[in-house]
Amino acid sequence: MAMTTPTRRIHYSPPWGNASIIGVAGSSGSGKTSLALAIVASLNLPWVVILSMDSFYKPLTPAQSAAAFRNEFDFDSPDAIDFDVLVDRLRDVKNGKVADIPVYSFQKHARLEQTTTIYSPHVLILEGIFALHDQRVLDMLDLKIFAEADADLCLSRRLVRDVKERGRDIDGCIKQWFGFVKPNFSKYVAPQREIADIIIPRGIENKVAIAMISSQIQKTLQHKSAQHQLELTRLGKIAEDSPLSPNAIIIKQTNQVKAIHTLLMDETTSTEDYIFYFDRMVALLIETAVDFLPFTPSQVTTPQGHVYMGLKKTAEISAVVVLRGGSAFETGLRRTIPDCRIGRILIQTNYRTGEPELHYRALPANIKQCGLVLVLDPQMSSGGAALMAVKVLVDHGVPEDRIVFVTYMAGRVGVNRVLRVFPEARCVVARMGDDMENRWVETRYLGC
Amino acid sequence: MASDSQPQAPVGPEYRPATQKPKATVSTPLPHDNVHILPQTPQLIALLTMIRDTNTGRADFIFYSNRIIRLLVEEGLNHLPVVEHEITTPVGRNYAGVKFEGKICGVSIMRAGESMEQGLRDCCRSVRIGKILIQRDEETSKPKLYYDKLPEDIADRWVLLLDPMLATGGSALMAIDVLKSRGVPEEHILFLNLIASPEGAKKFADRFPKVRVVTAFVDQGLDEKNYIVPGLGDFGDRFYTM
Repeated sequence: MAMTTPTRRIHYSPPWGNASIIGVAGSSGSGKTSLALAIVASLNLPWVVILSMDSFYKPLTPAQSAAAFRNEFDFDSPDAIDFDVLVDRLRDVKNGKVADIPVYSFQKHARLEQTTTIYSPHVLILEGIFALHDQRVLDMLDLKIFAEADADLCLSRRLVRDVKERGRDIDGCIKQWFGFVKPNFSKYVAPQREIADIIIPRGIENKVAIAMISSQIQKTLQHKSAQHQLELTRLGKIAEDSPLSPNAIIIKQTNQVKAIHTLLMDETTSTEDYIFYFDRMVALLIETAVDFLPFTPSQVTTPQGHVYMGLKKTAEISAVVVLRGGSAFETGLRRTIPDCRIGRILIQTNYRTGEPELHYRALPANIKQCGLVLVLDPQMSSGGAALMAVKVLVDHGVPEDRIVFVTYMAGRVGVNRVLRVFPEARCVVARMGDDMENRWVETRYLGC
Repeated sequence: MASDSQPQAPVGPEYRPATQKPKATVSTPLPHDNVHILPQTPQLIALLTMIRDTNTGRADFIFYSNRIIRLLVEEGLNHLPVVEHEITTPVGRNYAGVKFEGKICGVSIMRAGESMEQGLRDCCRSVRIGKILIQRDEETSKPKLYYDKLPEDIADRWVLLLDPMLATGGSALMAIDVLKSRGVPEEHILFLNLIASPEGAKKFADRFPKVRVVTAFVDQGLDEKNYIVPGLGDFGDRFYTM
């Protein structure tokens, strides 16, 4: 019997594996949010996200809520913040998992049903008046910033924001300021200066400080990118030394399959023929891959009243297309499973560093419940993108043994890289090729 | 019950552990060299289960039949010869490949066989398709040829003969006679069907041992009305009119 689970699992840490977290604290109205936005804008990269501590206000009891509407509830005390949830979510981010962030409504003074999701940032900027307050949070911060501003400026900014954006009135805001904000500042907010690494005066006007911080973050990102590539190289070395994993299934090389390979590889084949034969090949690949669905015995009666003991599937299949190449699989996939739910992931290889980068993801809502998730990418060379795609699914709660990576052409090193990290996943391949080959398969299919 | 005398076996590819192979009724094994049965994968069994089920609606029946038909066509085409053909790949390497050799055509036995034409076209876009109408003569209860229209040069082609059910084999055997009379050599004929009876398969092996029969499943046998047991009812009716 074939072995399905090689004993040794190799660890892979994606670039979002150990996210850096930067804390920005400061008085209300000190310009923390603008500062964080200015930093992100100066970086202009999708892997840096801002998390506002406003999302972590505790839901109020009816009595507290009534007080809040009278402007008599103290939102500027650390007690108003749900640090336990914040710490949990930060841990998720730090560990590269999907973090569901609560949404707080200032109009209703309540946590809303829906959540937003943070996933795969390389750097997260946590901003809030108490960003440097809780020891558990401090332990996770890689850089601690305190934004300093003149108290008059803080008050005027706060007035404008609360009236314009949060539906308050001027009297209520002034009552809050002198009743809670000001006393709390000296009691809880100001002491955070003592533990900050950097104190930034004058907020976004302070271009020098913003440039310093963004270059610091650049360095962190470069370091992470270098680490990730080292990681891929290390996995490649391990993969080179081992024979092809038993979880790699190469479809039977029949005469038809070989003839289709020949047509697909022949540069003189017309685009029309190429698409036709590629679709035909994909249908064969999908038929092989869907055999990993769980089935259960099922007895049916024929129109003549005879009984047949057959099988039926016990769960749904979904697919995830690795853009853009994976979209070449869709016609063939729909031929076999017309109503298949199809998620999409965009992974691009940085042309300067050669590092695969995750840019976009939209996954089927029920992906965790699927009996089988097919990851579609027509060509696998180094396996870096494949590794990342499978990791994204695992991070979203898809059990590893339900993942089948389907590809037209792969190299042994790439396949082994993925299957050594995810030994319970499977890989279905139409043809084993060279370890490093330009991505021509989808270029031929899509015509550009 | 019909299923009792058919073999039950754990179904699944060899790389799957035995515990993950559910048990189901699989194809009856046959001793004839010219009969090729598709690998009994869980997927194929599940597809057959769908189309056998009397409660399966027409849309599903057509869709799942088509999936099996494509597998049959792919398997059938594998019996065609190929010749060596070296090409240059987009990355500038030489690849010692193969290419299809010889012309093919489809011939469907009307009307049920015509249901397999779409599946054939999915794999061979511009394939020529001939037709043969054979009906049972009410008086003699023997099959009678009513109509045929075949490509002129059929003698130079490989023929994929299409009929979804092989029961007694009466019309299919007559269709082979027609093809042979037009000069098609026996060994250039591939007969594709979804479900075969052991009786029908044996008749083919005895009369035309060089004709290759490609089937998805060999059932238990025939009932007194010569219907395949357990079968799936009248394929043509379920595909076209029911």
